[in-house]
Amino acid sequence: MHLLSGLIVLMLVFALLRAMMPDRPLAPWALLVAGALTLLVIYRQDLAGMEFWAGAVGFVAILSALLVVMHPSPMSSVLFLILNLFCVALFYLMLQAQLLAVLQIIVYAGAIMVLFVFVVMLLNLKAEQALTAGRGVQRWAALVLGVMFAFMMYWAIRHRTGSPYYEPQTFQDGFGTARDVGLLLFREHTFAFEAAGVLLVAAMVGAVILAKRQLR
Amino acid sequence: MDRQLSEVLLQSSVKIGIMFVAMLTVVAYMTWVERRVSAWIQDRLGPNRVGPFGLLQPLADGIKFLFKETILPPHVHKALYLLAPAILFVPAFVTFSVVPFGPTVEMFGRTVRLQIADVDAGILIVLAFSSLGVYGIALAGWASNNKYSLMGGLRSSAQLISYELAMGFAVVGVLMAAGSLRLSDIVTRQAEGLWNMFTQPLGFAIFLIAAFAETNRLPFDLPEAETELVGGYHTEYSGMRFSMFFMAEYANMITVSALAVTLYLGGYHVPGLHYLGLSPGLAAAVQVTAFAAKVGFFLFLYVWVRWTLPRFRYDQLMNLGWKVLFELALINILWVAFLVLIGWV
Repeated sequence: MHLLSGLIVLMLVFALLRAMMPDRPLAPWALLVAGALTLLVIYRQDLAGMEFWAGAVGFVAILSALLVVMHPSPMSSVLFLILNLFCVALFYLMLQAQLLAVLQIIVYAGAIMVLFVFVVMLLNLKAEQALTAGRGVQRWAALVLGVMFAFMMYWAIRHRTGSPYYEPQTFQDGFGTARDVGLLLFREHTFAFEAAGVLLVAAMVGAVILAKRQLR
Repeated sequence: MDRQLSEVLLQSSVKIGIMFVAMLTVVAYMTWVERRVSAWIQDRLGPNRVGPFGLLQPLADGIKFLFKETILPPHVHKALYLLAPAILFVPAFVTFSVVPFGPTVEMFGRTVRLQIADVDAGILIVLAFSSLGVYGIALAGWASNNKYSLMGGLRSSAQLISYELAMGFAVVGVLMAAGSLRLSDIVTRQAEGLWNMFTQPLGFAIFLIAAFAETNRLPFDLPEAETELVGGYHTEYSGMRFSMFFMAEYANMITVSALAVTLYLGGYHVPGLHYLGLSPGLAAAVQVTAFAAKVGFFLFLYVWVRWTLPRFRYDQLMNLGWKVLFELALINILWVAFLVLIGWV
């Protein structure tokens, strides 16, 4: 509990600092060290415990997510997004969803992000060009939405049931394996699975038509 | 820490240590093999001065690379420039952790599985981490701030995405035949029946071609094509960091060869071994040796092909990947489905 609130406070402080001084260079390393020290102090009793690792991964996840939106260079943003997706994969692994963890890496870190890197490399954006300050209205809207989001997270943490971490008794044998996920997909969620397939094909056809319009 | 966990940790770390040292040794000697075999193919002598048959050449090369200056060119993205060779290096080693190189044996009074991790999603881990190698090349090209490097990086990301697809679809055939994602199950399944190489030759050929493209070896070494791109993504690198690209390339070759052996050549399985009536320990030793020999054959094939075939043109590479291999892989899936239907595999 105090870990999550600590992380959120850290996040807000970081966001505030960036908003106050947009021209100053970031110091992610200093923050990383500060976060690691905080974690060590909170969990000095139980360093190999699940809570410690969940906290560590969560901290890296939040830090990398912040850097995605705040880093002035687009290439660095993309790379921090990859780091963030890796953290999500680690969370899946902690929740015993091993297949989902691997698929997360294949689909997002392996395939989609390569495309992002490719596009950013092709566009070759300069850092100065990329960082265009938002207008006044945008800033206010962002502030309102941010506060609302913070309240939502606070509410979710207050009303959560049970421990968010791995507890062996909640999972039966074979949970999260390819076999189990496959059975779920083809027995209980067949319609959703097939509908997603149709949707993806439609999206692909649409993309091809949009891309080829000029050539015709 | 309870006993079971400490036992698992001990076994894993010993296995990881042994495999790491073995792989680095093979990587070092592959550079020697490459130069000697290329010399042999071109009717030259090759390096034969340092030690008997030039066997100490890799050591001399290593020392030379270590003592060379690491030049940091101006205007590079420093962090990524230094990180890129390491990114390329890691996936090759991580991937090897799920490849079984021998059966389960009794050793030092405990049961040891000759595989670092027998994961349920084994083959998916392989695909996941092999697809991460592209970041190393793409970032090396981008961070170098050199147009030839950038071209190499761009080409490599396009090439790896294209051939990953064909490779993944070829592997689907193997999964259908084995009915499992676990690499140890795939090996056992082949030991019971025919090797996948014989039941799905088309899939094997596709996997092999895609593997050449995935490791950036000739005839698919477009990202570093010397004649047009100077050196491609590693133009701006020097010293140990330059040699890390080479080590990563050879480590990747070893991993992909081990995978080809596991998926299509029955892994460590030796046909007819149980008729000989060897003791379990000896049989396991024979099987590990057989695995090493099969991998060795593929490594030789890599070198052989490199010094035999010329490089593809870029459009030919893309056409081959998307318009030929991908469709053939789909046909292979239909073929395996047919085999499964009539109960042959």
